[in-house]
Amino acid sequence: MSNQNLFNDNWLKLQQEYWEGLTEMGRKVTGTALPQDNPWEAAMDQWWKAVSPAASDPAKTFMDHLLDQGKTYFSTVERFTRGMPGAAGPDGNVAAGGWDVLSKTFDQMQKAFSGGLGDQDPSINKMLGFWEMPLDNWQRMASSLTPMMPGDLLRNMPHTQVKENFDRMLSAPGLGYSREEQAQYQDLIRSGMEYQQAFQKYMGFFNQLGVKSVDRMRSLVQSRSETGKPIDSARNLYDSWVQCCEDVYAEEVSTPEYARIHGELINAQMALKQRLSVMVDQTLGAMNMPTRSELRTLQNRLQETRRENKHLRHELEAIKRRIANLPGGDTLPRSAPSAPAVKASAAPAAKAAATPAAKKTAARKKTPAKPASS
Amino acid sequence: MLPIDIRADKISEEMIEYTRKLGQGMQNLIDAGTIDTGVTPKDATYTEDKLVLYRYQRPADVAQQPVPLLVIYALVNRPYMADIQENRSTIKGLLETGQDVYLIDWGYPDQADCALTLDDYINGYIDRCVDYIRESHGLDKINILGICQGGVFSLMYSALHPDKVRNLVTMVTPVDFKTPDNLLSAWAQNIDVDLAVDTMGNIPGELLNFTFLSLKPFSLTGQKYVNMVDLLDDPGKVKNFLRMEKWIFDSPDQAGETFREFTKCFYLRNGFVTGTATVGDQTVDLKQISCPMLNIYALQDHLVPPDASKALNGMTSSKDYTELAFPGGHIGIYVSGKAQKEVTPAIGNWLNKRS
Repeated sequence: MSNQNLFNDNWLKLQQEYWEGLTEMGRKVTGTALPQDNPWEAAMDQWWKAVSPAASDPAKTFMDHLLDQGKTYFSTVERFTRGMPGAAGPDGNVAAGGWDVLSKTFDQMQKAFSGGLGDQDPSINKMLGFWEMPLDNWQRMASSLTPMMPGDLLRNMPHTQVKENFDRMLSAPGLGYSREEQAQYQDLIRSGMEYQQAFQKYMGFFNQLGVKSVDRMRSLVQSRSETGKPIDSARNLYDSWVQCCEDVYAEEVSTPEYARIHGELINAQMALKQRLSVMVDQTLGAMNMPTRSELRTLQNRLQETRRENKHLRHELEAIKRRIANLPGGDTLPRSAPSAPAVKASAAPAAKAAATPAAKKTAARKKTPAKPASS
Repeated sequence: MLPIDIRADKISEEMIEYTRKLGQGMQNLIDAGTIDTGVTPKDATYTEDKLVLYRYQRPADVAQQPVPLLVIYALVNRPYMADIQENRSTIKGLLETGQDVYLIDWGYPDQADCALTLDDYINGYIDRCVDYIRESHGLDKINILGICQGGVFSLMYSALHPDKVRNLVTMVTPVDFKTPDNLLSAWAQNIDVDLAVDTMGNIPGELLNFTFLSLKPFSLTGQKYVNMVDLLDDPGKVKNFLRMEKWIFDSPDQAGETFREFTKCFYLRNGFVTGTATVGDQTVDLKQISCPMLNIYALQDHLVPPDASKALNGMTSSKDYTELAFPGGHIGIYVSGKAQKEVTPAIGNWLNKRS
């Protein structure tokens, strides 16, 4: 786009009026009084749809994330201020009884965090989504560790209901040639169920924290009222909510209970991944391909050999130096100093490591490397 | 009095301002270009496997100190944090105090490195880098500055090779891993590190990222990006933010055996405090360290709480032990303007008096 300023204030106001008008029309036609979606969110979405084709992929990804956080910010502010005196409500009327309205807001939020409120209020859903961030982090990380296993694997599986049946099935012994294979599949399923159980415990822990954070926010606004220092800006309101969530989170994740749940989750994921690795290795072995366990063994042996080699070389150099310091000993040939000096270059280390011949040649040099200009 | 007193028109103003900055900032994001890593010119002087030992180019107008300084950074992040931008560079600050600065860049371990142990790092890589610098300068001893986990390595190295270390500086270095406010340590107690390393080999950087972000998830994955919009209209600040963002998520994998040993030795056994720290078949006795020491910690450090660092006092035989408390966080101690004015000059002056 050639327009330097991609975002025009008049255009934004026009968007806002457009969406407000459209929503008003819709409500009049249907005769309902549904809560109005945050017009700013809608305006942002509309704007992004218009300009995103011009952005590069990395910029799009980054802006998507910024927009997401922006929407959470707007939703938080809109939710807390809805119906407050001085803030127009969905129907345009200014509500009285600000404390009642605020209390109702807090009650609704607690109900939502306890699972008692459906998707009727999008702004509540956005705030629930805010508390999903720690879980979202886990899911992204888990997906990156095991591409075959998405981060939300088995998240919604009704573990309790099917546990008994699965336990019976998994305890059935195998027979004959397929005994080992069957045992491995049973181990794999067992690991999967244990991971799912650990993940559900982890989710359950976080569900409680949302309720506690609402309580904390309630106490905070109470204290602001008592000290005569009200929250007087949207950013201040959002920051206060974040601080409450962060405080509750910090207190709860410091407990031994969380450390146990967190440890069980990671251990369960590792156990599941290990079972998958074993099965992958077996498949590779059957195809006469190198397996991870074979490579690991070779790596350990090679590293042991290298360690011994370097140690021996170091001792050899020390002996040579001692001999050279003896009377008449300086006639003996000297080799490289104990620290193998490599001629300096600006090339990355990977290139140097890729040429073993070059390293051997460098080790035979007598003088320390001279610095090369970068 | 109502606790939330925000007029509708004020909310609208804030929202319009926010979205205006977002729109303007997109152009700056698109124009940000390649994010560089490290700003001070340096030369690669020694390489081994994936390690590169860099020597920073010294300013011509600064009198040089005769004893070089080796900076040993942690394995868990990339070392360009110490040289992240022109006006926020610990390396540059040290050079300006006359230090001849070397830095070990550990590189990016891959599965070929998973068998590397603490012994390989400390008595191998670090010792060979120290020997290289000693021989290059014709000195018996050099100065060492260890940062975070690099400080732990520096302590172990100095205890095992006290004849090679002239002065030792540690920055935000954990010594007591089981202080009550150490979240990472609390979480590590229930993790089966053997299972993790046996399963994965190297510990992926993504797992470490998740762990660090989990310390403050709402601030670090949410609020930070809302705050970022405030600086989007300044191309310089956008670039600085993106540099920091790159560093935060640029976490190398950890060599499996080293991770296993380090976790068990320190997070589980609290090796320095219990006297059970070992490297290979050698016991690490901090009382073997008798050189002058400067121990710097950050008062709002949520990764290495101050008490974890202050525990070093009295654990060595040094008769010249100094502490410096910095009013900032684990990262702020390198990148904040205040740190550039207070911390790096203090390190330089301290070293100059003892070199």
